[in-house]
Amino acid sequence: MEQNQFSRRNFLSKSAFIGAAGVIGMNALASCAKKTKPIDYVFPPELDKAPDGQKLRAGLVGCGNRGTGAALNFLSAGNDLELVALADVFEDKVWDCRNKLSKQKVDVPEKNCFWGFDSYKSLLEVDLDVVILATPPHFRPAYFDACVQAKKHVFMEKPVCVDPVGARQIMATAKKAENIGLSVVTGTQRRHQRDYLETYRQVASGAIGQITSAKAWWLQSHVWFRTREEGWSDMEYMLRNWNNYCWLCGDHILDTHVHNIDVINWFVGKHPVEAIGFGGRARRLTGDQFDYFSVDFDYGNGVFSHSMSRQIDDCANTLGEMIMGTEGYTNCKNTVFNLDGSVKWKYEYPKTKDGKSTEIVAISPYVQEHVSLVTAIRTNKPIVEAERTAISTLTAIMGRTAAYTGQKVTWDEMMSSTMKLGPEKYEMGPVAMEFPVPVPGTQHKE
Amino acid sequence: MFGKTIKQKQYLLLIIGGLTALLLLAVFNKTMKVTSTNESCSSCHIHPHADATWMLSAHHNTRSGVSVNCVDCHLPPKDQIVKYHTRKGYHGIHDLYVYLTSDSAKIDWTEKRTFESAKRFVYEDGCKKCHTNLFPATLNTLGAESHLKYLRDPENTSCLQCHLNVGHYRGKAGLTGGEEVVSGTKVIHTAATEVRSFHTFDEKIPGTSVAFKMIAIPGGQFKMGTFADEPYRRADEGPQIDVVVDSFWMGEIEVTWNEYLAFFNATSSQGRKEAVEVTEINKTDAVSGATPPWGAPDQGWGKGTRPAITMSHHAAETYCRWLTQVTGKKYRLPTEAEWEYAARGGTNSAYFFPGSPKDYETDGFLKKIFGTDTTVINSYVYYSENSPSKTQEPDKVKANPFGLKNMLGNVAEFCLDFYDPAVYSKYPKALVKNPRGPRNGMEHVVRGGAYNYSAKDLRVGRRDFTRTKDWLVTDPQIPKSIWWYSDSKNVGFRVVCEYNKAILNSKKNQ
Repeated sequence: MEQNQFSRRNFLSKSAFIGAAGVIGMNALASCAKKTKPIDYVFPPELDKAPDGQKLRAGLVGCGNRGTGAALNFLSAGNDLELVALADVFEDKVWDCRNKLSKQKVDVPEKNCFWGFDSYKSLLEVDLDVVILATPPHFRPAYFDACVQAKKHVFMEKPVCVDPVGARQIMATAKKAENIGLSVVTGTQRRHQRDYLETYRQVASGAIGQITSAKAWWLQSHVWFRTREEGWSDMEYMLRNWNNYCWLCGDHILDTHVHNIDVINWFVGKHPVEAIGFGGRARRLTGDQFDYFSVDFDYGNGVFSHSMSRQIDDCANTLGEMIMGTEGYTNCKNTVFNLDGSVKWKYEYPKTKDGKSTEIVAISPYVQEHVSLVTAIRTNKPIVEAERTAISTLTAIMGRTAAYTGQKVTWDEMMSSTMKLGPEKYEMGPVAMEFPVPVPGTQHKE
Repeated sequence: MFGKTIKQKQYLLLIIGGLTALLLLAVFNKTMKVTSTNESCSSCHIHPHADATWMLSAHHNTRSGVSVNCVDCHLPPKDQIVKYHTRKGYHGIHDLYVYLTSDSAKIDWTEKRTFESAKRFVYEDGCKKCHTNLFPATLNTLGAESHLKYLRDPENTSCLQCHLNVGHYRGKAGLTGGEEVVSGTKVIHTAATEVRSFHTFDEKIPGTSVAFKMIAIPGGQFKMGTFADEPYRRADEGPQIDVVVDSFWMGEIEVTWNEYLAFFNATSSQGRKEAVEVTEINKTDAVSGATPPWGAPDQGWGKGTRPAITMSHHAAETYCRWLTQVTGKKYRLPTEAEWEYAARGGTNSAYFFPGSPKDYETDGFLKKIFGTDTTVINSYVYYSENSPSKTQEPDKVKANPFGLKNMLGNVAEFCLDFYDPAVYSKYPKALVKNPRGPRNGMEHVVRGGAYNYSAKDLRVGRRDFTRTKDWLVTDPQIPKSIWWYSDSKNVGFRVVCEYNKAILNSKKNQ
């Protein structure tokens, strides 16, 4: 245990200090090249349940389905965990969430329920230790900063922003959190999923040789949308249909595909230096986003990753990641293959009573990430994942920008871009914005 | 006994020496201490406003009661022992000198308060010694963004950029940095540049954001062709003739992709049928330009300011006609004589810069072993030794005496004349005025070296010509394109603008 804790601390302090998503991976790859050096890829032990300790009181900002789910995930991560406050921009969402929770025997005091654009500020006035941020990603950078200024630990959903300005704000706030010893876990749950972690351990110790290329894909049927109802203002309509507006959602290359992109960044050990890509809108009915993207992320030195994301019905729809190496390849999730396709290694899932593999990890990754958060707080070994998730989100933004504009987009451009999406101020009512669907390049002469 | 005395004396000396050293050290330390006090500083720095503003500043008048002294900012931190003492010495001597020689009332103190000046006598390590946390939780968005930038690029960012007024109170000035205004919007030129005299000017292409420099080349007489004994000379480079050319303007650099694409975007045709060639007679009609190219005419090397390549000689001439139309000035390709006159810039050797092709050419056994000193040629030309595989952005090389860049390198250039290997011997023996080459011909003159040429082919007098058939050999379309060469990558062109004094004067009088 002591040994584990030391390793954990080593891992955490490094990842927190250096910040970049992939440093650990790089270290691992570098060290496996020289077989004599010890391999630095020791993970914190993924406990089934957080250790007992101080009572932690949480507040939820963003009372939609994921927010409600995340709150319940938090509560099941250990003992003495409480949910004591709710906030959402819409009143009906707050009561709806409260009702759902009370069916699960979670009672949030009525006086701690807030709504409106400033409801998160009221929530931060409540005596809290942890804030769960599950609003549309547009609001994440500002809300996250407010949480850290109020000295709260944070669980926040991915993506963590919708534009480069937001990404850099997350990076800066991550440093603030590190400086005052807070813990921040982001909803990139694959990084807390035991099969992924063990596969990473294999790859980091050289199971597929040197990484040469990758692909990542999130191809699915269309996702939820809302058509406008009578009486809804522009702002209300967009907020209720947020998953279809780029300034709120960031487009699906961020919203869902960021998971896959994050895995590639993690395994490759760095973020790409540039991207060329394309996409379009073939079947989408509302909003201003694309429904397909295909992006080539260039990691330098000939290493690239092909990223595909699509939300169209009745297509070849699957999702996953794959990484090619000089000595084999992996699906990142649970299997390492030899170059001839034979299985070199496979993650061993827990077995049923009759000895069959369950094919799922023992602890749901959606709970496991909260176990990590609570453990970090209670053992006073802070972890801050915000910067690496900001890097993965900014990677997705780089791909989105490449597809929207048709240009080659570089990381340096992203790090100095002043692109900031959304209206000047937030209030219910008409919004003076136009929502043309992006068209790459320019029109040639007739 | 005698020896003993000496020994004693030695001991005595040693002791005295040691004591003196200790004393000196003590004095030195004391001196260092005394000369580092605020009082010591202000004894020479007889500018009471500095004291007064410091006392009002956020570095003295603080909530915590901690006060920051002169040397904390105006010298490196003390733990950088060497730097601290050398800078202290420097500033001490400098300030003493100024104190003794200058009248403090006459010093421009306002100038000293600028960022550029402050950098000379404020040490950022001092800032960072105390301010160890760049990301306090209450830092606002602008601060977070700026500090993040500082971490990413400490070379080009500094504390003083934003926090210039923290040491001396200058009223409620606030931050001196502030949000960068990004000028993403390009200026679209509404009109071409109006030229009223024979000077170098920046031409603007109306309706685009593209501009390019046209250098005024005053006319004159020169010897065209090469001396019979010039190394690597070819038969078609002589005999030398005396030529005089009129004044003209010439593009500082070869026509860029930006310029050529402005033409293409404005004039391109559908491409299913070849555009009709436009003659001088119907030049008021809209110019019908190139068909869309196949593949990447820039060879994937990048567009922007790199020279446009692979366009045909016909396309280059059409470009000039279009440019004439949109600017109202007479643009065309240079004649071979104008080209050589401009490239020589008053010189008459193999290059317009020092050195012989023999020095720079890497042929021969000895040169292959020992190499050659190519510093000079490298600074003037993109050629096989510094750019063997592709064109370069044009502005890194030095210009010739007229101010023209890349006459001898980057890409070779089309001229107006038809090519005739014996043309020099066909001109009259007297002074030839504005020669334009043979009346008819199949191929056109190409002059100047290219990125993949070696030193011997960069000579000013070296002549070459278009090879239309060879340059279209892999074009799989029939008929083959009249706009794009499929097999030429190292030829571009440069424009000249005709100078007509009479027209300029008539414009002046309008």
